[in-house]
Amino acid sequence: MLAAISIKNVSKSFSTEGQPILAFGPADLEVNEGDFVTLLGPSGCGKSTLLLMIAGLIPCSSGQIIMNQDEVLSPRHDIGMMFQDSTLVPWRSVLGNINLQLELRNLNPNDFQDKISELIESVSLKGYEHLRPHELSGGMQQRAALCQALIHEPKTLLLDEPLGKLDAMTRENIRKDLQNLWMNEKPTVLMVTHSIEEAVQMSSKVCVITPRPGLIDKIIEIKLPWPRDLEVKRSQEFADYMAEIQEVFQGYGVI
Amino acid sequence: MTAKRIKATIRWITDSWMVILFFVFFFLFWEWSVDWFSIPRYILPKPSTIVVNASADLPRLIDYTYITGLETILGYLTAIVIAIPLGLAITFSSILRRTIYPFFVSIEMTPKIAFAPLFISWFGFGLLPKVIIVFLVCFFPIVLNAILAFGSLSDELDRFAKTTGASTFKVFLKIRIPSALPQCFVGFKYAAINATVGATIAEFIGSDQGLGFYIQIVTGNMRPDLAFAGIFLLTIMGLSLFGIVTFVERALIPWHISQRR
Ligand SMILES: Nc1ncnc2c1ncn2[C@@H]1O[C@H](COP(=O)(O)OP(=O)(O)O)[C@@H](O)[C@H]1O
Ligand SMILES: [Mg+2]
Repeated sequence: MLAAISIKNVSKSFSTEGQPILAFGPADLEVNEGDFVTLLGPSGCGKSTLLLMIAGLIPCSSGQIIMNQDEVLSPRHDIGMMFQDSTLVPWRSVLGNINLQLELRNLNPNDFQDKISELIESVSLKGYEHLRPHELSGGMQQRAALCQALIHEPKTLLLDEPLGKLDAMTRENIRKDLQNLWMNEKPTVLMVTHSIEEAVQMSSKVCVITPRPGLIDKIIEIKLPWPRDLEVKRSQEFADYMAEIQEVFQGYGVI
Repeated sequence: MTAKRIKATIRWITDSWMVILFFVFFFLFWEWSVDWFSIPRYILPKPSTIVVNASADLPRLIDYTYITGLETILGYLTAIVIAIPLGLAITFSSILRRTIYPFFVSIEMTPKIAFAPLFISWFGFGLLPKVIIVFLVCFFPIVLNAILAFGSLSDELDRFAKTTGASTFKVFLKIRIPSALPQCFVGFKYAAINATVGATIAEFIGSDQGLGFYIQIVTGNMRPDLAFAGIFLLTIMGLSLFGIVTFVERALIPWHISQRR
């Protein structure tokens, strides 16, 4: 299997008052093509920072990131990225915000009509396409942002807490949709979360990150059948994975 | 749509009846208190006297309103036309940001009106020195807010734009300009409030026409009634300019948070 993303000895320090302070790493990670990998760790451990480095949006302080055979040295255009904070612009509707991704990439939204309606339907935003972000609930905004990140059909997805602001019921639904999408199209996904349950449910691999400065402490392969529906979630194996990860975090003293 | 508009009008009236009532009481109180406290007419005239005497001098008032209005509008528009491109240039040129920008910030502290006597000695009593004063008064808030507006794009939007690989120009057109508009309008509105002030004071200092000139002359002639008429027209002028800017703001950025109820 080919490594879609390989992270070699990568770390990031930020200089605070002239002093460099280590925020993440050094860490190694291989993400295979078609993998669904979650980065699971307490807040402040550097998950967002790692995603930004992979996207080429901020430089690494040390080490090297290789994506699809080339070193990441500048912003990658072949990814779909969902940022922790919304990238919906307030002057455009849901549809307009999805089109923004296409327009900025010199793609014609007219060629994506079917894909857009399909995507909007899959996240249950049908009927809300023409509303502006401030007219939507936090959860709906996040679903719209997900559509914005997916519309150009990227082969690699970097998702920073994509389901963070959703209520429990919607979250369950969107997890299912995201999982279906992944099973159908098999993009490489790297997703940040701080929900253990979400990590076990969604991923083929879970990277457990220690508190700041974050280190990738354990990579746990989740060998549960797909799709991870309610039945799978009620299984003993699911509970065992949850317990295993909970124990790791108890060891760090964060839960 | 019309039903909505009628509803909105009714709501406006129900929401603002208190302030309307307040204005009515204010003028009634003024009208009666002049008699009650036997205030001499040459100190404080009654509102009714102001209306009657002002109507008698209406042609001159209209002429002068036009003059002061012209100075205000010309100075204000010139300020916008020059300040916005300059603000952009300063935002995107590190040399300008380190030279002109601090210069502007320090000049902002100078009361622009202090230049008025100089300008009048250089350019005479006509329109030009007043337009320049209005321009100066409006220019700095507009340019400083424009620099703030164009320079502060959220990290997320900036990064999002970078992942798309869009050209700087495209990002500018589709993201930077619309995100900057609300902050630009802060400058436009602040300048609109000060524009008439600039014109009036410039006319006080040296002029042979305009409402500022008029107020000064009639006050010298012990005619506070006519001075109040001039003040009233200046108020209307200021309100109109501010109203137009607010209207344009609503039309251009209806999505902005300050526009939402
Ligand atoms: N631009 C920055 N300057 C200084 N410190 C930063 C910066 N960005 C992030 N950090 C610090 O790095 C650490 C990791 O941040 P982040 O990646 O956002 O964590 P997470 O996403 O896991 O919650 C935090 O402690 C944060 O304060
Ligand atoms: Mg984060």
